[in-house]
Amino acid sequence: MLALATMNGLVIGAIYSLAALGVSLVVGIMNVINFAHGELYILAGYFSYILADTLGMHFVLAMVLAVALVFLFGIFVEYTLIRPTYGNDMYSLILTFILSIVLQNAYLLIFGPYPNKPPGWVGGATHVFGAFYYGNQRLAALAAGAVVIAFVFVLVKKTWFGRIIRATSQDREMAELNGVNTTRLNMLSFGLGCALAAAAGVILAPVFPVTPTAGVPVALTAFVVVVLGGMGSLWGCVVGGLILGLVENLGAAYISTGYKHVFNFIILILVLLVRPAGLFGRREA
Amino acid sequence: MTDIRFYLILFAAAGLFSLLPLGLGDYHLHVMIVSLYYLMMASSWNLLAGYTGQVSFAHAAFAGIGAYTSGILAVEFGVNPWAGVIIGTAAASLLGLGVGVLCLRMGGIYLSLTTLGFSEILRIVITNEYDITRGTMGLQVPGLVEEYSKAAYFYIMLGAAMITLIVLYKLIYSNKGLCFRAVQNDERAAASLGVDVVKVRVLAFTVSSALAGLAGGLYGHYLHLITPEIPSLDQQFLVLSMTVIGGMGSFLGPVIGAFSLEILSEYIRAYGEYHVLVFGLIALVVARFAPNGLMGLAASRLPGGPAPAVTVPSTGKS
Repeated sequence: MLALATMNGLVIGAIYSLAALGVSLVVGIMNVINFAHGELYILAGYFSYILADTLGMHFVLAMVLAVALVFLFGIFVEYTLIRPTYGNDMYSLILTFILSIVLQNAYLLIFGPYPNKPPGWVGGATHVFGAFYYGNQRLAALAAGAVVIAFVFVLVKKTWFGRIIRATSQDREMAELNGVNTTRLNMLSFGLGCALAAAAGVILAPVFPVTPTAGVPVALTAFVVVVLGGMGSLWGCVVGGLILGLVENLGAAYISTGYKHVFNFIILILVLLVRPAGLFGRREA
Repeated sequence: MTDIRFYLILFAAAGLFSLLPLGLGDYHLHVMIVSLYYLMMASSWNLLAGYTGQVSFAHAAFAGIGAYTSGILAVEFGVNPWAGVIIGTAAASLLGLGVGVLCLRMGGIYLSLTTLGFSEILRIVITNEYDITRGTMGLQVPGLVEEYSKAAYFYIMLGAAMITLIVLYKLIYSNKGLCFRAVQNDERAAASLGVDVVKVRVLAFTVSSALAGLAGGLYGHYLHLITPEIPSLDQQFLVLSMTVIGGMGSFLGPVIGAFSLEILSEYIRAYGEYHVLVFGLIALVVARFAPNGLMGLAASRLPGGPAPAVTVPSTGKS
């Protein structure tokens, strides 16, 4: 049971890391928390379901298209809703919260309350470490999550675009003085944050089917991960995501299933009490 | 607005309202009672969001704390509902103080994140502790008055709404209220002038949570059935949209928002459960194009009308 719970924790932890990376990137650059993050995660699940199941596309193509569509949607949201609120953090919180409720109710109207599931990538199960059988689909999800996380790290740490991102999150005005078009960067990074939520969504949807409100616990966990890891820290997201995934699954296995999301909240309170800046956070965060 | 003018208008309005039970049937009276509940919720949320610039997503959760505290005390220990409502209010303010102290040191975003988590956790706890809370079935609680009548509850809610408005008015137009707005407009400037920013925020959060607890406690005893619907995020969203549409940071805004949205939702209900979606779209448009809500629109149309208390959004860098 320990091994199985740990394995489950790693899989879901990788997805939490991915979702949290999207939140953290946007917070670092724009100081905006996107409360509709979970709904964008679900949106990607629905897109990949429609494209692969209803339109019969190949699942890889459907996933890429779903992420691209959510990226465009994110850019649209930034352009229409978020951009006029720069300099007033409170309004972006309120707007994205309203957006999340609107999207939830729109999904309910369009898709109904039933769970929808895009087709799986692989079937069968593998004998892991000679200890237990584990579904291939979940192993594939873990691998895909790790690949996307690695891609984000390369993008932020090694490319020119990543250098702009890091510069802007360190000192916005200085970056502007050096010729960074921060308005365009905001738009791109908000879209990228949404695309990361979407990536988490398409990877996890074949394992955990999407329902209109299934994004809420994922988004909440992603927010806790961001606080635990430290706002704006990429490594914090990865470490924090894995910690929360493990805590949630071990807690569910040994303490109580009904309360598995409560453990995250206890961690959040502990972090705020002991080290409010988070594990890898900058002091003034 | 001078004090005398405020009290004159408040008591005149309350006097007119107290005539309503003479002319309205039970259904319309029910709509009025629910509107008064939302008035209390939206006005006290506005103290936080409109006057100190902190967004709490746990306002409905604190109403739920008030309702469940009072309801559980009455059902399990036979406590008098009135005493229960007071204890529920105290419980909400204590929890508000705790959450406030915990996350307001770190700034506004942390409060929003923590309160969102708090309301989700409360929902999970209520659903799981079925033995005490009866989960989604709802907890049946005794009423506040011996003989059930809509008119009696209407007067109780009207009284509570007046108390809420008076407390808010006293606070907003005191020195403390000045500090609230100073913190909202420019935290650093306020701090440099000797305002204890964290203390001011915690005070606003505690008072607003206590008022939510009071509203929730009374509302639960009026419904005779306390369900997880009261502390849900959907309710939180309704309170938020009422404030945003009515006008955040203006005293009258939430009052107007609460009445107009509750009455509107009764009309929409005839066509199905679309009111949340409709309000969401309206709130998005208002928050985007008229950040000061209906009150802001009214002020800009009528020269010499009441100016909104805050100027949002600023174009400066955060």
